[in-house]
Amino acid sequence: MKIEIRIGAVFYEQILEDLSRCHPFAAERVGFAFGRIGSLVDRGALVLLTGYHAIPDAQYIADPSVGARIGSEAITEAMQAAYHGRPTRQGVFHVHLHVHRGPTGMSETDRCEIPKLLPGFRSVGRQAAHGILILSLNHGAGWVWLPDEPEVVRAHSVNVIGKPVEIFESEDRK
Amino acid sequence: MSAERLARQSFLGPESEKRIARSTIGVCGLGGGGSHIIQQLAHIGFRRFVIYDGDVVEESNLNRLVGAKTVDAAAETPKIHIAKMMVYGLEPQATVRAFPCRWQDNPEPLRECQIVFGCVDSYQGRAELEVACRRYLMHYIDIGMDVHGSKQGTIGGQVVLSSPGGPCMRCVGFLDDEKIQQEVARYGKAGARPQVVWPNGVLASTAVGLAVDLVTGWTSRPLPYVYLVYDGNRGTVVESKTVRNLIISACPHFSSEDVGDPIPIKL
Repeated sequence: MKIEIRIGAVFYEQILEDLSRCHPFAAERVGFAFGRIGSLVDRGALVLLTGYHAIPDAQYIADPSVGARIGSEAITEAMQAAYHGRPTRQGVFHVHLHVHRGPTGMSETDRCEIPKLLPGFRSVGRQAAHGILILSLNHGAGWVWLPDEPEVVRAHSVNVIGKPVEIFESEDRK
Repeated sequence: MSAERLARQSFLGPESEKRIARSTIGVCGLGGGGSHIIQQLAHIGFRRFVIYDGDVVEESNLNRLVGAKTVDAAAETPKIHIAKMMVYGLEPQATVRAFPCRWQDNPEPLRECQIVFGCVDSYQGRAELEVACRRYLMHYIDIGMDVHGSKQGTIGGQVVLSSPGGPCMRCVGFLDDEKIQQEVARYGKAGARPQVVWPNGVLASTAVGLAVDLVTGWTSRPLPYVYLVYDGNRGTVVESKTVRNLIISACPHFSSEDVGDPIPIKL
């Protein structure tokens, strides 16, 4: 089953620009992207990102033990987005940036913290795909929880449809 | 692939070989235009293809169908077979997913492409392909030629690039409802339209050049849209006058919200 996350170039640049901004106290930024499903053969899926919500500075919590911690207000807004996205089966993707070049993946902290959000998104938007998108300066990796699937799976690739076309394949990390 | 194979195109960038090899390209229609395109893409090193054409080779195709031989007309060889042989002959490691039908009859494989070439005959067919490409975030490159007039024909043609978020074929002035309606009204009356090999070659080469630029970014020029007009009598390809003063910040015909599988609405 092939899963691919696809982003338009303009939108990708907007995400990178937002996540690259300095925060008054957090070491990094977080955002939520919204995505819809395009069906592929053999139950595969495209996740087509359509929008992005930048988290306001005030919704971060000072916690020097992690790069960024967001408060309940930010998470509630993301949950509301998942809820309001039900008519179009629009899901929510936690997005952040690792400031390095080349293939990227979840850090230990990411692995402990971010997947906890997904059951909440799924509980209010069962027909949508939810997940995680981690970008580096020139690469990216994604994890997707499709409706009716028992678990989150890593996307085969994250594609940016611009010029040049970017195809960030998960095999690059091996 | 040997280092020598693509040595002469190393100016496309140090990553170009990898970028080209991992891109998935769709070609809808493998006649006069599509057969040129598939041949060139295989020469360049593209390896992942999704192709559609439900027709077989006929005698009347042999004046322009690249790769087809006399025996193929006699044997009624499917056009997808000609295309597959062309690709595998140049790229044995290639993956060609070939469908002997219209893309609309099996649309899901096409969605895996990053770039789709439309080599179809009708405005309606072009419009439908563009909708699919917008909905699933794919670059769409359209080519087409026609011969106007009955006595001394005038050869015309176009290459149009329509990318997600950018101006569409309606924005640049190539497509409109009137053209589609006129085409519907003419349906069945047009007969066999004139087609010759060299305009298809010019248009296909121009389109392939755009695709290579999109994949490798080698020219560094922005490509939010392209509408090139071919004058086959003069032998020129120039930017359409309709886009010279085009100022569009967002395409009014395709919303960024209209992506993914359509959702049925309860009435």
